[in-house]
Amino acid sequence: MTALFALAPLVLLLVGGLLIMLVDAFAKERVEVSALVSTLLGASFVVAAGSLLADPNPSGLPAEITRYLAVDATGYFTDVVLTVAALIATLAAGSYLREHELERPEIYLLLLLSTFGAMVLARAADLIVLFIGLETMSLAVYGMIAMRRNNARSIEAATKYFLLGSFAAAIFLFGAALLYGATGGTSIAAIRDAIRGGHAEPALVMLGLVFTLAGFAFKVAAAPFHGWAPDAYEGAMIPVTGFMSVVVKAAAFASLLRVFTGVFGDPLLMHPTTGWPTLVAALALLSMLVGNLGALGQKNIKRILAFSGIAHAGYVLVGFASLHAVPEDATAAILYYFLAYAGGTGLALASLVAFGSKGLEAVDVDDLVGLGKRHPLLALPMAIAMLSLLGIPPTAGFFAKLFLFQAAAQAGGIFAWLALAGVALSVVSGFYYLRIVVALYASEPAEGAVVARPMRSGYVLLAMVFGSALVVKLGVMPGLYLDLALEAGRGLFH
Amino acid sequence: MEFGIGAYAVLATTIFGIGALGFVVRRNFLVQLMSVELMLNAVNLLFIAFNRIYVEQHGGQSFAFVVIAVAAAEAALGLAIAIAYHRIHRSVETDLADRLRH
Repeated sequence: MTALFALAPLVLLLVGGLLIMLVDAFAKERVEVSALVSTLLGASFVVAAGSLLADPNPSGLPAEITRYLAVDATGYFTDVVLTVAALIATLAAGSYLREHELERPEIYLLLLLSTFGAMVLARAADLIVLFIGLETMSLAVYGMIAMRRNNARSIEAATKYFLLGSFAAAIFLFGAALLYGATGGTSIAAIRDAIRGGHAEPALVMLGLVFTLAGFAFKVAAAPFHGWAPDAYEGAMIPVTGFMSVVVKAAAFASLLRVFTGVFGDPLLMHPTTGWPTLVAALALLSMLVGNLGALGQKNIKRILAFSGIAHAGYVLVGFASLHAVPEDATAAILYYFLAYAGGTGLALASLVAFGSKGLEAVDVDDLVGLGKRHPLLALPMAIAMLSLLGIPPTAGFFAKLFLFQAAAQAGGIFAWLALAGVALSVVSGFYYLRIVVALYASEPAEGAVVARPMRSGYVLLAMVFGSALVVKLGVMPGLYLDLALEAGRGLFH
Repeated sequence: MEFGIGAYAVLATTIFGIGALGFVVRRNFLVQLMSVELMLNAVNLLFIAFNRIYVEQHGGQSFAFVVIAVAAAEAALGLAIAIAYHRIHRSVETDLADRLRH
């Protein structure tokens, strides 16, 4: 029973999702599924945040639960991030689907169950559970992208994401099988103990590490495993893009954090020159380069955000590469970054939903021209989001990057250079983030140009208020949230 | 004649490689889906073979069962996407998908 309460954020989503499915199937009148699902996600968020503040490391839980699902502060923190992102996406979907006459209850339920899968993935303490969570999350996302089944772009995006996603899952599983062969365990703790005890065949462990890392790198869209991301993000509906770019990425990163601090936390494997930090540093540098340079030539806002997502995956990987030197600071920085990225990207995509109406959707940067002059208040959240993603104070993104690069600088050596490269490439990112802000406020639309017309809908406004509040609050008082992230990160190292 | 676990590991790795190669080289949705299934089954073989080393527990066999179940769900979804794809392109050649980015 205590276990059920301790895992309330997950239980709420699962039981609630199944109930809504029944209600929708048997109700005589049309049910407002979007409202029900947002309420449920909101409740899950409140419970997770409450647990994080009140009792983040509950004790006395049966081992049958904790062997498979971690119940700790890190888990509650990732629950908060994932529910926030899912809530913003759901509210945006509530407006978008109705405005564009695509309203179908299934998509909200897929979103809900995908969030549940993401939370399981982020808490998984066993590779079997990790795989189930990963697939629950991914399969639902493939379905959400393919929901517009007569739209060639959506189906193309779903095809590419599905094929490469299943391929990556198979690669990850091969790594898991090698780790099992080397150690005889499937749980993170058992594999770790076998490796520490020196019973494992080093060649198998190294191969397992490389294959699992490749599987994760695909899910978080880190270069060179990013090829699917721009197409999949562009072809999906805007709220689904928002969901994919934040929830999938954050959950996969959270799981990577657990696996790499747990399974591969051995000092020998974590050695800064011969261990995995060098490997991760290479991925980080490549992702920052590909993401920031790739975004420069793009016109489509969803594609810009896809490349921006690749770049941000690179920044987070800088934190991973520093884990060997300053484990607690780097973990806290990574967790804090999730929250800032979820706020920034979620807010940007919610704004994009609000900027368009049926037939007059905001797709390219040119569609936004002059919008800030016609609707100053409505355009403000988009500007805040861009400044936060760029990392200008006083927004969330500034402190998020500061903490990450600080951790890397403390790690020293090549990692300090990596931090420097991150700062330099962040300056480059100013070109494409500020281009959007300039389009909003400083430019005039050409004579007779078709411009996007904002929709009138309450849901998405709520999402924008919520997202803006988060981004600004993280920027104005970062200490409070950093303390929470530090507290949450400590759970991984005790 | 008795085969050791090493032989099974080599066989599984070979099948996995064939699947991965098929996925990369071929441009047909169904063949790519089958290639992924081949890779997953190679992983299953590896899990079950490795389980022979650790006979006191059944971690590998349980993992293989879970993989089988998830692979079935994945195939169902994949075929649904393949049907939607075929309705648009009248073919399942994935080369035809080139509308994005243009």
